[in-house]
Amino acid sequence: MNQKNIDNIIELSNELRWQIGDDFHDNLTEGIYADAADIVKDTVQVDHSKKRFRLDSKIDKIVTSKTFGFPIMFLILGTVLWLTIVGANYPSSLLANLLLDNIHPLLKSGAASIGMPWWLDGFLIDGVYLAVAWVIAVMLPPMAIFFPMFTLLEDFGYLPRVAFNLDSLFKKSGAHGKQALTMSMGFGCNAAGVVATRIIDSPRERLIAIITNNFSLCNGRWPTQILIATIFIGAVVPSSISSFVSLLAVIGIAVLGMAFMFTVSWALSKTVLKGEVSTFNLELPPYRPPRFWKTIYTSLIDRTLIVLWRAIVFAAPAGAVIWLISNIYIGNESIASWAISSMDGFGFLLGLNGVILLAYIVAIPANEIVIPTILMLTVMVTGISGGEGAGVMFELDSMNATGDVLRAGGWTLLTAINLMLFSLLHNPCSTTIYTIYKETKSAKWTIFASIMPVILGFVVTFLVAQFWRLFI
Amino acid sequence: MNNYNPISALIIFFVIVALLFVFFRPIKGWFWILRKNFKNNEKTIIEDILKQLYHFENSGNKVDMKTLVQVLDYKNTRIVEAINKMTINDLIYFESDILKLSETGREYALRIVRVHRLWERYLADKTGFHKTEWHDRAEMMEHKLNHDETNTLAAHLGNPKFDPHGDPIPTKTGKVAQVNGVELPLLQVNTIGRITHIEDEPEVIYKQILAENIHIGSLIRVIENNNTRITFQSEGEEFKLAPIVAANLTVSPIEKEVVIEDNIARLSSLDEEETAKIIGISKESRGESRRRLLDLGFVKGAKISIDLMNPLGEPHAYLIKGTSIALRKDQAAKILIKKD
Repeated sequence: MNQKNIDNIIELSNELRWQIGDDFHDNLTEGIYADAADIVKDTVQVDHSKKRFRLDSKIDKIVTSKTFGFPIMFLILGTVLWLTIVGANYPSSLLANLLLDNIHPLLKSGAASIGMPWWLDGFLIDGVYLAVAWVIAVMLPPMAIFFPMFTLLEDFGYLPRVAFNLDSLFKKSGAHGKQALTMSMGFGCNAAGVVATRIIDSPRERLIAIITNNFSLCNGRWPTQILIATIFIGAVVPSSISSFVSLLAVIGIAVLGMAFMFTVSWALSKTVLKGEVSTFNLELPPYRPPRFWKTIYTSLIDRTLIVLWRAIVFAAPAGAVIWLISNIYIGNESIASWAISSMDGFGFLLGLNGVILLAYIVAIPANEIVIPTILMLTVMVTGISGGEGAGVMFELDSMNATGDVLRAGGWTLLTAINLMLFSLLHNPCSTTIYTIYKETKSAKWTIFASIMPVILGFVVTFLVAQFWRLFI
Repeated sequence: MNNYNPISALIIFFVIVALLFVFFRPIKGWFWILRKNFKNNEKTIIEDILKQLYHFENSGNKVDMKTLVQVLDYKNTRIVEAINKMTINDLIYFESDILKLSETGREYALRIVRVHRLWERYLADKTGFHKTEWHDRAEMMEHKLNHDETNTLAAHLGNPKFDPHGDPIPTKTGKVAQVNGVELPLLQVNTIGRITHIEDEPEVIYKQILAENIHIGSLIRVIENNNTRITFQSEGEEFKLAPIVAANLTVSPIEKEVVIEDNIARLSSLDEEETAKIIGISKESRGESRRRLLDLGFVKGAKISIDLMNPLGEPHAYLIKGTSIALRKDQAAKILIKKD
């Protein structure tokens, strides 16, 4: 066949296609379904007595009812979060005790006995090892509790009902009901939340869910919020209600995060994302008893360990950087104190300080090491006694002692509130950034998702700081 | 910070925010206006003139310079310049006062119209832009695509016959499909017909039509037709329009006495405990959304009923082919059913 014939055929097919018109795909699909229905009629026998379990629709009626739907939902999700935060405390302190208080000194003395030079020992053990150990101790237990519980709910079939109940709220901000699930997942870990957006099959809504997932306060940030709220906010009210008020403050921050999530979703869907394709459908699968052990196994392997591994990969160099900037000197000053004094002005404008900003820069790999880094840097720049030495992160056993160090660093109630706000509104951790890139395959959206929350954080803390200084 | 005080910091901040707003706010921001003016070169003006002439001639109207200057949003001097150039290049000629398209001019105009309508089709099928934005975006795009790009686009879309408003898309060779039908106000009471075209200009009227949820491709029956309003029934709902709005709808009357299913309704009107059969999906459901619905089994003849009502009003879950699928109200409004 020569080229001319081929061209003729293509021309003819185009002509025919034009004449057939637009109903082509519709008719084809209808035909396929009609054929399939015929085949089913001839070959498949249906037991009509068991048509759709009655139990299923009974459960559905309750969990989506006007009266019980929302209370049940809040109860279940609240329980999961509470179990995660409270339940993780014990294994976390156990791990911290083991990795930080026992193995770390052991490694140090081991290094000393083989005559390792101080800089290598500091770089590897105080820098890299300590950061990795910290991340494991803080991150592993909550994830190992949260993910299996969440996966069990998912497997049982309850989560699609949550998306169903909440969809019209999310529709108002241009998002998909399933974003409720990825958002809840973000409370465990933003990187896992971003991966979970795969369940949203509409491109626009999925991007919205990915970009706004960072507004869910993740496991790495809950401890920071609780610590700072207890030390500073709990201290300004009578001690009888202090724990209640500080709890309220933390919940307030989490709710504020949701408000930001809705607002930013709305703004995104109306501006930069309005051209992306948007579809909606939500399948409500039948309930089934979760396969308990399999679920636990897969959620531990697929979610927990993968996320943990990525966090470790990123935390190791961060530990090295933290140690290096505190131990390399330019002139008379270490890089860290030089950076802190150059950022102090900007930090003051935001109601924060240079130490906090530097801590957030070096702690991009993991939010978990923000507080230890802040403590170490504060001790370093103020020159007060305490701490473990330059570049060695530490945490104090008592909250009072932590509060004393921070107050010595010039912290006020404003600093504490703005730190809580900034902890909510800053760039995602590098694990999440990397995950966003893997999921979107787009440098543009990755950069956008990383920068936008920081800018929001700057604006919000700046405004709070100015109004605070004006009126209080 | 020597001279810091919160008020001056706040003032500086708000000045910066205000400046950013003035520059970058959507559409009216200075940045966008400047960019647009920068891009309005002669080619754009010439092509816009050609297109206007084409539309005027097609509707049998005559155009002189005065009308043209009124319709187009450019400086008069630039329009005159462009017209001069176009007469020299034989795209147009004057018959006394009246401007006319030459044969080459007509071909050129047809090519612009082709790009415009193809692009609207592309926006409808392959992107998530809202209907109200299609026209303006296509207006910008029609000056950008060259001949080859246009043909690639057409092939990519499967050489569609009509744009999403029901206007025919000229083919590569300049062939234009026929739009059947007359303007809605010209129809007698009790006529049955199908909406074949919804005009998207002027925007004010188009937005009214969209707000009414009138769908292209719907069967309608005229109930009332007088000077003040036109009422018609379609898909189980009643619509009342002012004649000036109704004139933007083209309806093709159905001559032969086809059996009109009187109880055709939209899926959104289905109540709990009711069952229905699907008649089809409206033409308003396009692209990826339409494909998804078809793939999920929302095809002609399928049985459907409500599985779960939503506590917040939407989306409801529908039971179709043994599966429970939740759809939002605006999607359900585009699925046509016949209640049992």
